[in-house]
Amino acid sequence: MQEQKGSSSPSISTLSIVQMNDVSASYDSKNYVLKNVQMSITRGANYAIVGQSGSGKSTLLRLINGMMNPSRGKIMVDYKIPNTSDKKFKSFMHKIGYIPQNLGLIKNSTVLENVLIGALPRVSGFNSFFKKFCDLEIDNAKKILKQVGLQGKAERQVYMLSGGEKRRVAIARALVQKPEIILADEIVSELDHVTAREIMDVLAKAQATMKLTAIMVHHDLQLALEYADRVAVIKEGEKILEIGVEGDRIVDFQSGNFTQREILEMFSNESKE
Amino acid sequence: MNQKNNLIIGLIIAGVVVMSVNVDADPRDFAEGLPNIGIMLQEITEVDSSLFVTAFWSMLETIEMAFIGTVVGVAIALPLSLLAARNLNNKFVYVPVRALLAAIRTFPSILWAILFVIIVGLGPFAGVLAIIMYTVGFIAKLQYEAIEAIDADPMDAVGAIGVSKLQLIRFVVLPESASHLLSQILYIFDYNIRQTSILGLVGAGGIGFYIINYIKFFEYGKAAVFMLVVLATVLIIEWVSVRVRDKYIVKSQRGMQVKS
Ligand SMILES: Nc1ncnc2c1ncn2[C@@H]1O[C@H](COP(=O)(O)OP(=O)(O)OP(=O)(O)O)[C@@H](O)[C@H]1O
Ligand SMILES: [Mg+2]
Repeated sequence: MQEQKGSSSPSISTLSIVQMNDVSASYDSKNYVLKNVQMSITRGANYAIVGQSGSGKSTLLRLINGMMNPSRGKIMVDYKIPNTSDKKFKSFMHKIGYIPQNLGLIKNSTVLENVLIGALPRVSGFNSFFKKFCDLEIDNAKKILKQVGLQGKAERQVYMLSGGEKRRVAIARALVQKPEIILADEIVSELDHVTAREIMDVLAKAQATMKLTAIMVHHDLQLALEYADRVAVIKEGEKILEIGVEGDRIVDFQSGNFTQREILEMFSNESKE
Repeated sequence: MNQKNNLIIGLIIAGVVVMSVNVDADPRDFAEGLPNIGIMLQEITEVDSSLFVTAFWSMLETIEMAFIGTVVGVAIALPLSLLAARNLNNKFVYVPVRALLAAIRTFPSILWAILFVIIVGLGPFAGVLAIIMYTVGFIAKLQYEAIEAIDADPMDAVGAIGVSKLQLIRFVVLPESASHLLSQILYIFDYNIRQTSILGLVGAGGIGFYIINYIKFFEYGKAAVFMLVVLATVLIIEWVSVRVRDKYIVKSQRGMQVKS
């Protein structure tokens, strides 16, 4: 994958699927929870966002899928401005698999029903009212359930599942959308290391085979660096770093000013705070 | 803090005493009147056993009225509750719908019954219409509150896919509020049976019609028989609804195990 290194210029790259120029966001029009964020995410990238609790990571994802609008600055997602009432963007929303921090599963429905929700954009209003899905969709959903490691659990009620299994259901729902982008908010936080890696592997594999752009929020910097090409570090609403691993070195892509040692020091300061 | 609480409790008790005097509620009257129950119980043993058959059929009519009223009322209330939910509609939709529902709720069922007796005449149909109105006002309100209390996360997650509003309702709103709705339906059906039992007082059909007539002619024993039938029916319905609740609501909500 070819990328411009050390470039902080806000020029629109034709390669980027998400482009943010000087984006600020606020919930109360007083305090900005995101400040002047520049971000360019290449199509097909595996991008991670890390930062402390309350730094604005979830807000960033909600700006990308249009569930929230920026107070200042400009966002382009697939060359469109995210806006849920815009027809053109709405049809692109079908292609964004969003896995919110609390997963947003329907607890009293079965695994299969939850997963088929991802197929709703392809189902007519009449058929969806009767929860009628064609065999093709059901087969596809079952295939994806197998892919995420939930074979044989299609008819389970979601409330009966373990935390790890629930995350797999949310991933399957997103994959059934046949997405171009996956937005996952802390999907492996609170899981033990083994399960977290199993789930990250499922996502990484899906990303590679389906050629998705993955944008994932993580708590764990180590894990983020391990899986992502690029890691944006957010602190109090500002993007302070964009780094990635090249060979055995950590590289600062944002300003190009930091050495590997300085970055590592910033990390250890971050985690101490 | 504690002293303030004591003061408040003292004031409430004083209020109850003063108001009792005001409304002429004297516990001594109650004590003196208690033996009347004995007389009534004795009268029950003297009534003709064929009266139980009449009581049974009029109770059946009452249950039928309550059943129709509940089913039709819920069927009307459900779409209204979807329109009244603030997390699904803008204010140009929910404000008028809520105003309509509030207006419907201002009347207790007995007043609706009087109104419908005037419109459609004496008989069970007026009672059914009254039950429908009451059910609509009551269920629609509880249901739109339940819809607004739905977990925002699934709404958010499924909304972000860009599905249509009807799909959102079908796949998120209905499943997430279904157990609540079922629980409300059981409750209102139970309640409607009791309500329908008194609608006869204003001539709107059902078992209450007999009860009021016997009371008018001082045939307390016969009235008591009908009241016992109402009591037995309500207990049975209560028992059935606990069963249904355990099977479909409690377990499905939290995977809770009901101790038997
Ligand atoms: N709906 C909201 N209304 C008002 N303020 C909000 C809302 N959601 C988030 N915030 C505030 O915005 C800031 C950023 O929140 P956000 O959820 O984006 O943080 P986060 O980085 O995802 O945190 P965490 O790691 O705890 O999930 C926080 O200060 C939070 O209090
Ligand atoms: Mg968050």
